[in-house]
Amino acid sequence: MTALQTIKDGLIRRNPTFVLILGMCPTLGTTSSALTGMSMGLATLAVLICSNMVISAIKNIVPDQVRIPVFIVVIASFVTVLQMVMQAWLPALYSALGIFIPLIVVNCILLGRAEAFASKNNVLLSACDGIGIGAGFTLALTAIGAVRELLGTGAVFGFRIYDSSFGALLFILAPGAFIVLGFLIALFNYIRHA
Amino acid sequence: MKSSLKNMLLSLTGITILAGTILAIVNISTEKPIAEGAERTRNEAIAAILPPFDKIERSTATDSDGDTLTIYIATLEGSNTGVAVETFSNDGFGGYISIIAGFDKDGSVCGYRILQHAETPGLGANMDKWFMADDTPHNIIGSNGPLAVKADGGDIDAITGATITSRAFLQAINRARSAAMNIR
Repeated sequence: MTALQTIKDGLIRRNPTFVLILGMCPTLGTTSSALTGMSMGLATLAVLICSNMVISAIKNIVPDQVRIPVFIVVIASFVTVLQMVMQAWLPALYSALGIFIPLIVVNCILLGRAEAFASKNNVLLSACDGIGIGAGFTLALTAIGAVRELLGTGAVFGFRIYDSSFGALLFILAPGAFIVLGFLIALFNYIRHA
Repeated sequence: MKSSLKNMLLSLTGITILAGTILAIVNISTEKPIAEGAERTRNEAIAAILPPFDKIERSTATDSDGDTLTIYIATLEGSNTGVAVETFSNDGFGGYISIIAGFDKDGSVCGYRILQHAETPGLGANMDKWFMADDTPHNIIGSNGPLAVKADGGDIDAITGATITSRAFLQAINRARSAAMNIR
């Protein structure tokens, strides 16, 4: 398994949102606009690369029975560091993502990749898996956010396509998240298997 | 690796000490920028919602419900030009809303900024611009006296689809006005 193949796998064959259906809470919660979806994806990407590398590096010195608590300590530390750094130097982004940053800790993508990949592969491949899965997550969240923002407010990334009075409020609210997610999963898998 | 009591204790202790140390270092180095950022945001908000001033003084005042609010008294060349009030409501659709509102020396609303909220994006969250949109029946800038939404017999248009947020917002503004009037 090469590094490049691992990254590609994370984007398509093992796309966390559209194929593995992992991390649904942040997926549904942060995608009310393309920008917040993308920011959440990038924050997860950063934590995932770091946690995958560290977990891969320490996998041989961690006893099996305590590996899950150790993984969670590693992930939680990176998330807390990211949270403090964002609050200090990117306050606007921090206030936009709010509660969802600490929730990265319980995002099952991170623990899932630690358990399924990083604890069985070397540091380089684990970093590549983090990049692939993280990028796949970012792309998925950006796509869902863009569709919801377009249908709900008539804009994408704040650029107006049509007047906001034609927007369907449903898509900004929670039900719209489920509807858009369902259709995008179907579309993604249709293309993937075509 | 096979687990034994000794290596489990050692690895867990080791990793938590390491993680704790890293977090402490990051906390120390970000503490100052975070505090400065909050301070700057508040100062910019105060400057934007008050008439021109050259001196600002922090104080507290009691509102009509008996809660103590932080206020900022602005003076220009020694005479009072207005007051900014850090006000709140617990009745938003998402609970707590924190607003800073500015009043001129007659008690008319000069402006406001939302400091913190958990309202619905695209609905209640639009309150950051809705109540200061020019030439609309929902502009509260320049108003003087208690405010209420039309559904409650007032004359302010509520945000479309977010009457609860609008009520909470106006409640916070009314609370701020009562505190601002209490200090003179």
